[in-house]
Amino acid sequence: MTQTIAIARRELTSLFCSPIAYVVLGLFGLGLALIFFGFSFAPGMPAELRDTYTWTVWLLIFLVPAISMRLVSEELRSGTIEPLMTAPLSDAQVIVGKWIGAMGFVLALLILPTVVLMIVLESNASPDYGPMLTGLLGLILVAGFYLSIGTFASAVTRNQIIAFLLTIFIISLFTLALYFLPRASFVSPDLSKALSYMNVNNQFEDFSKGLIDTGNFVYFFSGIALFLFFAIKALEVRRWW
Amino acid sequence: MIKARNLVKWFGPTLAVDHLSFTIDAGRIVGFLGPNGAGKSTTLRILTGFIPPTSGQATIAGFDAMKQPAEARSRIGYLPESTPLYGEMRVEEYLDYRGRLMKMPRDDRRKRIGVVCDRCGLAHLRRRLVGQLSKGNRQRVGIAQALLHNPKVLILDEPTAGLDPTQITHVRQLIRDLKGSHTILISSHILPEIEKTADDVVIIAGGRIVAQGTPDELRENVAGGSQVVVEVKASAESVRNVFTRAASVDRVEVTADGPWSRATVTPRDGQDIRESLGSIVASNGWTIREMSRHTRSLEEYFIEITARQDQAGTVAEAGAA
Repeated sequence: MTQTIAIARRELTSLFCSPIAYVVLGLFGLGLALIFFGFSFAPGMPAELRDTYTWTVWLLIFLVPAISMRLVSEELRSGTIEPLMTAPLSDAQVIVGKWIGAMGFVLALLILPTVVLMIVLESNASPDYGPMLTGLLGLILVAGFYLSIGTFASAVTRNQIIAFLLTIFIISLFTLALYFLPRASFVSPDLSKALSYMNVNNQFEDFSKGLIDTGNFVYFFSGIALFLFFAIKALEVRRWW
Repeated sequence: MIKARNLVKWFGPTLAVDHLSFTIDAGRIVGFLGPNGAGKSTTLRILTGFIPPTSGQATIAGFDAMKQPAEARSRIGYLPESTPLYGEMRVEEYLDYRGRLMKMPRDDRRKRIGVVCDRCGLAHLRRRLVGQLSKGNRQRVGIAQALLHNPKVLILDEPTAGLDPTQITHVRQLIRDLKGSHTILISSHILPEIEKTADDVVIIAGGRIVAQGTPDELRENVAGGSQVVVEVKASAESVRNVFTRAASVDRVEVTADGPWSRATVTPRDGQDIRESLGSIVASNGWTIREMSRHTRSLEEYFIEITARQDQAGTVAEAGAA
């Protein structure tokens, strides 16, 4: 466990040494502010962050891969994967440690600007904190899921750009593809329901409404576990090549 | 300490390691010598558990590199080729990180970082960013990282690559100081280095061991072995006649240099014939101005046997095609 934490710490510190981190922070802050003032913060509108959150989920599709793209591929490219994989630790510890480190950054990314927005709302109205906090939790879970996809994509290539694009592609399967597919005429109602369940945005809906359902947690935790598992296997396969 | 049994590694259609077997006893320094592409790095990577062999077994201190990776790897200090490091970390941060990965407790870690930094000449560079270090210093950090957890086995892949002569001497001394308490496996294609540092030499070419032994043993194995050069004041004719008839002499070549003759005598079976030649010179009453023994350098031997292996390899590939 201490080894996993050591990897997570290093990853987190290293992220902050790279300019990418600050660009992402800046863009996210800017995007969030624009969304907030564009959609939510107007006289007569309810004092809530629901619309903001709904748009933010789409913003994450581009920003999370920007963080995840270098997680493993940088080590593959520079050769530092070799001392890492010859140390007495498992591939699982490496992947999970990196994911946790990047999640630390993601948490800072999401929580800080959102807290600022909450303060803005608080000083102008009396917002309902329930949905705002569950919505934030939902965002964190969505980001965690996207990050696990990004970790997997990063583990299959040395090229950060390919990792970035691959992540976006897989995420769009879970968002765009699973938006249109259930509405297709050739899809039966039952299949449509199953596919809709798999859609990330639909899962997030409940959180933004203020609902906490174990079903949603199962979705996100199993999704994260699945892609981290793929990432571990991707790392393992590299040895055998 | 280190044991390899019938290691085979295929990379697709290429056979990188071809049934390699060797044993390295504790406390020895062994040099892996071979041309580029011979399979040295691949073998080291199999020993450290980075890649699995296609077949065969590698054990470190009795632990299988593939089946008992945690035990095996915690006993190895490894310096990969090209010394990969994290440029954005400071030297002591990086060493601390490696210490944590090696499961070293905090106090032990702190103490050892101080020890290896002193040992590797990094004491004044502890707070420097790794990315700002010169090549020589990066190499030192790599060696420091390998020594950090005081492993029984050190595996160093080209530890002196890219270093200037002063730095090479320093690294050589560092390695020699570790002998006895550590088992060290160095891989290199720089022959003088291996000659000077290693107790035993294993020459690898085409994925196979083509020669093994101490540097002295290998030098003696060279086809043609050693030769003795004698310069005496006598006619080339008589020198040739007398020397050719001497015991244990295989070949004599004589060149004339005014009143002097320079004879190059090749002994049979690589024996040291200086004594007998000396008495022959004395009994013939010749004035002597030089007698020296020329042993072929390891370099010449190395080039010869690896060339032989390459030829065999090409023939084999052509045969298979």
